[in-house]
Amino acid sequence: MNTPLGSDPTSDAVSPAEGAPSPSTSSAVRCESLSKRYGEGEASVLAVDNVSLEFPHGQLTSIVGPSGSGKSTLMHVLAGLDRPTDGRAWVDGTEITALKDTELTELRRDNLGFIFQFFNLIPVLSAEENVTLPMRIAGKDTDEEWLEQLLQTVGIADRRKHRPAELSGGQQQRVAVARALISKPAVVFADEPTGNLDSTSSSQVLELLRRSVDELGRTVVVVTHDSRVASYADRVVLLVDGKVAQDTTVQGEDQVLELMRSV
Amino acid sequence: MLGLAIRNLFARKFRAISTASSVFFGVSMISGTLFISESVNRSFDNLFGEVNAGIDVTVREATVVDDPFDQGPQAGFEDSILETVEEVDGVESAEGVIADVRISILGDDGDRIGPPSGGPPHIALSTVETDEFDALTLVDGESPDAPDEVAIDADSAKDENFEVGDEVTITGDAGASDYTIVGLTQFGSGETSLGASLAQFTLEEAQRLTGKEGRFDEIDIAAADGTTPEELAKRVQQAVGPKFGVLTGTETAAEDAGDVTEGFSFLTTALLVFAGISVFVGGFLIFNTFSITVVQRSKEFAMLRTLGASSRQVLGAVLAEAALIGVLASLLGIAGGFLFVELIKLMFGASGFELPVTSLRLTFDSVFWPLLVGILSTIVAAMIPAVRATRVAPLEALREGGGSTEIKARTSRVRSIVAALLLTLALVLLGLGLFVTEEEGGALAEMGGGLVLLFIALAMLGSRFVPPIVSAIGAPIEKLRGVTGRLARENAQREPQRTATTAAALMIGVALVVFVGVFSASIKSSLNDAIDEQIAGDLAVLNKDGFSPIPSRISDEVAEIDGVGVVAPTVNLPVLTDVARDDDLITGLEPEAAGQVFNLDFVEGDEETLTGLAPDEAIVEVGWAEDNGVAVGDVVTITGPNGESIEVTVVGSVEDTSGLVVLSLAIPRETARDELGANQDATLLLSYAEGADPDATRESVDALLEDQFPDTETRNQAQIKADQGDQINQLVSLIYVLLGLSVIVSIFGVVNTLALTILERTRELGMLRAIGTSRSQVRRMVRYESVINSLLGTIVGTVVGLGLAVAAVQALKDEGLILSVPVALPFVVLIAAIILGVLAAIRPARRASRLDVIEALQYE
Repeated sequence: MNTPLGSDPTSDAVSPAEGAPSPSTSSAVRCESLSKRYGEGEASVLAVDNVSLEFPHGQLTSIVGPSGSGKSTLMHVLAGLDRPTDGRAWVDGTEITALKDTELTELRRDNLGFIFQFFNLIPVLSAEENVTLPMRIAGKDTDEEWLEQLLQTVGIADRRKHRPAELSGGQQQRVAVARALISKPAVVFADEPTGNLDSTSSSQVLELLRRSVDELGRTVVVVTHDSRVASYADRVVLLVDGKVAQDTTVQGEDQVLELMRSV
Repeated sequence: MLGLAIRNLFARKFRAISTASSVFFGVSMISGTLFISESVNRSFDNLFGEVNAGIDVTVREATVVDDPFDQGPQAGFEDSILETVEEVDGVESAEGVIADVRISILGDDGDRIGPPSGGPPHIALSTVETDEFDALTLVDGESPDAPDEVAIDADSAKDENFEVGDEVTITGDAGASDYTIVGLTQFGSGETSLGASLAQFTLEEAQRLTGKEGRFDEIDIAAADGTTPEELAKRVQQAVGPKFGVLTGTETAAEDAGDVTEGFSFLTTALLVFAGISVFVGGFLIFNTFSITVVQRSKEFAMLRTLGASSRQVLGAVLAEAALIGVLASLLGIAGGFLFVELIKLMFGASGFELPVTSLRLTFDSVFWPLLVGILSTIVAAMIPAVRATRVAPLEALREGGGSTEIKARTSRVRSIVAALLLTLALVLLGLGLFVTEEEGGALAEMGGGLVLLFIALAMLGSRFVPPIVSAIGAPIEKLRGVTGRLARENAQREPQRTATTAAALMIGVALVVFVGVFSASIKSSLNDAIDEQIAGDLAVLNKDGFSPIPSRISDEVAEIDGVGVVAPTVNLPVLTDVARDDDLITGLEPEAAGQVFNLDFVEGDEETLTGLAPDEAIVEVGWAEDNGVAVGDVVTITGPNGESIEVTVVGSVEDTSGLVVLSLAIPRETARDELGANQDATLLLSYAEGADPDATRESVDALLEDQFPDTETRNQAQIKADQGDQINQLVSLIYVLLGLSVIVSIFGVVNTLALTILERTRELGMLRAIGTSRSQVRRMVRYESVINSLLGTIVGTVVGLGLAVAAVQALKDEGLILSVPVALPFVVLIAAIILGVLAAIRPARRASRLDVIEALQYE
């Protein structure tokens, strides 16, 4: 299933650095002893339990796990959407756990890309406007060449003037992928990106994520409970009860399926 | 279902409050107005009841001509009638009295005490021998016994720090005189005189001061034992003849109270009209809020339907929620009525008038009607959304995403047709009211109905014209503010109908504000033009209040002054004519002098027609003549307030559309005085003699007036214009405050719509925040949307208001109205709209910016 498209992906599985922290610049995202607890006292839940991980540049990583395993929470914390109870995290060398709210917003704007299950496009803007939205929010000029390349890559160049309601679900999600890449972020987080798509559209979107890593040199972290989605990744991290249960290189869908069944 | 409605209400407290506020303001205005009306009526009933308590029968001059503004002579009648009355069988005792409102008690500063006249009157009363006839009770000192003694009412004395033994100046028809205060009085048991100031003199002095030597204003009669007041009144009437009105004490009290409260019923009606506007605007808000929530809750209704709820139950649930809001808001509104009374008192106080509102009382009327209006209007406004809720199919519970776009598409064509019909009907009604219907009441009703329909039609058509206008308004914001402006602009036209209804509520208030502004400016400039064109004299002598008559003696005295050339006193007299159905104010001119101080615009005849006007000749105003079918050469019979009739021949006509000089008919002043009983002047115009020093001459005139007629003053042309402008401005600002309340209501509408819209876009906002939109950017986005909304309402409102003003001025062209648009007005209104938009956005914007990103992303 995993079909590298020409370029040479980083093939070796990167094991999280144990012990001494490596220079943070070497990885796109990194966290150390990260914990997130919800609620207090006996009713409290430890959604993320002392997790240390590192995501190098130019890789497609999937975080998998059953519902309630804490994978979404982990992503939220790594993406600066939520704050950890304990531990530290870095994005592209910046310690996000030390940032103020406005700094976090700016970091998300400039260094991160997001792809959501429900596409979350702005219905009143055209496909192209949706793609360039992050640049306009940042008040920056859009690199027209890059935009063109992205629209071509995701295959909506001819539908750029259409509004989301005039696009299929798959097309909408491909617009969302382009939107996540427009600012050339250090890392793109995708939360169940195919959760609302049929299998054909899913494949297209997954191919696209794969190509953004292989052809465009981006770093992508996908959170999913779908083994097929995970199998597109270079590396799979299995989360169980908020802890890392497995962290391994992907060899095929069967292997991932096996891995997830083991839970 | 009621339980569900209550829960829903409490679950969304803020929305419930802001929805309820729309009902609250209207209900407050209604109940407050009814409080005022009840209090005023009760106070005056009590007052006059008490004043007439000891009197069985009164004799007064019969009313020939209605004179609501006291422009008539009020000359009283010959005292010899008293003898006739005393001889009537069953009269125990009878006494002639003076009760004259044309005096002024002056304060230490030389000005009339209390508000300038036009407010509560100053009344000259005579002492009586018969205790039962005396409405006054002494609280200090004694009754006046000599010509230089006076007793004044304790309230006025307290306000002015007068004590027994002090000197006071009081003016009347005979000029100013000084008196020693010998006593302080109050009405009967001490109920206040409701702002009126009283001065009691000996009978002879009261007669002298008021220019009624040998005359009475009224004869009070006590019946002998065994004779009922009704019987006695009949007998007295027979004795004195039809020139007199004979009433029992009870009837007199009712008539006096009625006269006063009639004046206040105008205020009541005006306030109720503004309350109606608020209720109407509030209806828009309720309609919009329920429309939006019904769409947002369509899943919930579908779920209820799948659980087996009938569509009638769904309807009931929505209407129950509306009714609850209506009940709560109306109950609060009745409490708010007390605040509204304070507001009105404050506004009148600011103009120097104290409302005679003593104690407020909850009565059936002042509770029932506001409640009914508040609850009914809420339910009616929520009816269409509620019916829409019943159309939600059970299947929609299973569908992804809310909102039934199919229903909308189907109804939008029907809506356009209905709106077009309403618009046509509205324009027809407005056209009829403005240009066709002659009768005032009918025309007003047509215009009112036309306006209501016009506003509804415009709101319904909104979905058509919202997108282009919003695009135009939003373009500069987008240009200046980039992506937040772009999103705000797009968001504002996402649901055009919703935006249209929100803006329509604001449009109503703004349209009326602009209309009043343009209309009043047109009146002002027309008056100014008329003053410029028609008045050639140098100086006018007027009552300080600007409209009450002045003593006619002034003209003789002023003529004596060095430097004064021409003196032209003018009489305004209420009369009946054989050509007009209603009574008219006619003008009495000194032909020779008038020719020199007025530049009349003759249509038939010329300057010499005026200067040579014979005692039995008249000049007509062309508009009035046309209305009443009078032409030059006709003979018109005029009946004066004294009951005498004369015939005059029309010899010329002038155009005086603003009624500055010739209101209907102009006759020689001598005829008005000698034949029709006029005994005062409305104004006096004078020109300086050739070579006279204007300043010195004016100073001499001023000195005379200050010394002898302190109620009057001189005004030059510029001052007259400024006075007219001030009077109009005062009225306009009162109207603005009242319209402001409905604008506040419509701003709550903007708040509500924004808040609901933000709720709908929660996930979108979460995404925007996730991809790096800052909180302040989100706030800005909401703020711009709000500003676009309020600008939309304001711009359409301004256009509608201008259109209405142009139409109204056009309709009144015959009355001399010339369109004048105050250039600053649209800008002030637009800037105000921007400020209001920003204010309305405060809370919704804060809410939007504080959304928890993760929760928002998961919101359904």
